[in-house]
Amino acid sequence: MRLAARFFSVLLAVFATLWLATAATAKPPLVLAAASLQESLNAAADAWAAKHHERPVLSFASSSALAKQIDAGAPADLFISADEPWMDDVQKNGFLAPGTRISFLGNTLVLVAPAASKGMVAIRAGFPLAQALGDGKLSMADPVSVPAGKYGKASLTALGVWPSVKDKVVRGDSVRAALAFVERGEAPYGIVYATDALSSKAVRIVGVFPSSSHPPITYPIARLAASTSQEAEGFRLFLISAQGRAIFRHYGFLPHRPQAL
Amino acid sequence: MSFEIDVRRRMGPETEIALRFTAGAGLTALFGPSGVGKTSVLAMVAGLLRPDAGHVRVAGETLFDAARGTNVPIARRTAGYVFQDARLFPHFSVRGNLRYGMRRAARPGMSLDEMAAFLGIAALLDRWPRTLSGGEAQRVAIGRALLSGPRFLLMDEPLASLDLTRRGEVMGLIERVRDELGLPILYVSHDRREVDRLAATVVEMG
Amino acid sequence: MLLSPDEWQIVRLSLRVSGVAVALTLPIAFGLAYLLARGKFPGKILIDALVHLPLVLPPVVTGWLLLIGFGLRGPIGSRLHDWFGLTLIFRWTGAALAAGIMALPLMVRAMRLSIEAVDRRLEGAARTLGASGWRVFWTITVPLALPGVLAGVVLGFARSIGEFGATITFVSNIPGETETLPIAIYAALQVPGSNAIVTRLALISVVLSLGALVISEMLSRRAGAGRGGHVL
Repeated sequence: MRLAARFFSVLLAVFATLWLATAATAKPPLVLAAASLQESLNAAADAWAAKHHERPVLSFASSSALAKQIDAGAPADLFISADEPWMDDVQKNGFLAPGTRISFLGNTLVLVAPAASKGMVAIRAGFPLAQALGDGKLSMADPVSVPAGKYGKASLTALGVWPSVKDKVVRGDSVRAALAFVERGEAPYGIVYATDALSSKAVRIVGVFPSSSHPPITYPIARLAASTSQEAEGFRLFLISAQGRAIFRHYGFLPHRPQAL
Repeated sequence: MSFEIDVRRRMGPETEIALRFTAGAGLTALFGPSGVGKTSVLAMVAGLLRPDAGHVRVAGETLFDAARGTNVPIARRTAGYVFQDARLFPHFSVRGNLRYGMRRAARPGMSLDEMAAFLGIAALLDRWPRTLSGGEAQRVAIGRALLSGPRFLLMDEPLASLDLTRRGEVMGLIERVRDELGLPILYVSHDRREVDRLAATVVEMG
Repeated sequence: MLLSPDEWQIVRLSLRVSGVAVALTLPIAFGLAYLLARGKFPGKILIDALVHLPLVLPPVVTGWLLLIGFGLRGPIGSRLHDWFGLTLIFRWTGAALAAGIMALPLMVRAMRLSIEAVDRRLEGAARTLGASGWRVFWTITVPLALPGVLAGVVLGFARSIGEFGATITFVSNIPGETETLPIAIYAALQVPGSNAIVTRLALISVVLSLGALVISEMLSRRAGAGRGGHVL
């Protein structure tokens, strides 16, 4: 009995110390970011930390999943989406800190194939993607909700190819999930961002979707109303600064091109 | 000789069974107190247990011989085994139970209905074992064993769990089986009165 | 109409995938259950542990193992494709494989218990009446183990209807091919204004699972009560 009592009081003391310890430290900002920003945002966070700040905590997923989490009240500090509609959704529901939303990156949509494959695919109106796929599947992010999938579907629709391939589509949770199936060689083709293709040695770009065939790809960033970290705004300003954008350019992101009004 | 039995088997770290006897025609009783191994001997004659040494010969046929490596499989020993607890198949009706061993019966012998009449269970044929009384179940068990074309019968305390009236009924039945069918019977009991009334030969154990 | 045509397709696909999964897993599960219930051999504990592995491994890991093994480039998947023209990845057959593997441990457990509960003395009695090993198996062992076996089948069906992690990792989400009920709910959750759809699909999921559990429980009780039917 005495041994049990001693054991539990030690356990309690340990928990109490940990609890107080975590409460006491300043919280680094929690950033919810689109999956395609994995490498580039990590590099930016490292650069920020090198300037003697707490390294931000990064959480990557499809923009749609992140928006749903924010709408459900997720306590995060920054949100970077891969398209405007999901940022609109979060803003409409009142979760953004006013005046902090700005679009700062662009990207290109590409067709990829496993690294060991041969040949290129000329992407133009009516191009024979269905034939090229044959029995295989087209690996895309979910065209219903994930930005990369929506851009892909828009592009294929504009080119008149969507009806012939829509039953061959494997819907990934995120653009990275779509990339993974092509990397493994399980799908002969996939639609991802140029930045994703560049970050992977297991795929090669076989075609580029004309930017006129889909809405401009833009990445808006904003601070959330629920933000509690004092470093959040500072990190956001860093990301949209010239130094921040240079890091992203290094990974293949395009500068943001404002939509013609 | 109906039975030539010489068996030995280690049953546990402390216990061993050893029994040797020969017996002629009619009913041979294995008599002794509970726990002495009578049921195990019966099981060895049936082939459900394998002796460590010795031989088992019934009605001229060698069923087991350790020295010569003979061990006839259970299914081929053509024994009619009546268990102490009847052991009817719960998922077959009485008729189904009776019929179970009939495909082995070499010669036609009695038909199912004749056997049912002989044993007084004609009214029970479509009943389920779960609904039978102890005496009824035991009679079905005897019928099932008899209908399988046995060359000899093994009975393990068939009257043990019956009340007095039933005991009388079934004992009368066993006497008729003994007298009218002429099969060698090896009968296990711890009850002196049963043994005195039924047995031509008594083998004492323990 | 309670559900839209698309939603009915999802339910039908789920039922088909789970039905095939359980039907094909049944003989394997029974064989393993029999082996574990009656067999004495070295390595039995290992077999037992392997059978239970899908129960405790994170489903995503199981899905990943299926991916690297049965994908077009996996050692088994490539041979299946080259020799038999059979593809599992991105097909409903792959979804059935994932569902079957996840259901296996539950089915084996239930079946093993029911086989162990079969009174071996009844089997002995059948032997004395002249029945061969196979006849004893089919006329005594299987019928007496049947209620427990069926309970296991229904339980396995319920588990495979709800299978998500391994399925989405191995065969992903393809409407009409691999979009089973749980995957459809998961995908619908990502879309705004989907509460109505999610509620309907989730309700069906609950009804199917609850129904299967109730049936399984009833069968288990029958298995326990009807056993032996002792006379004395």
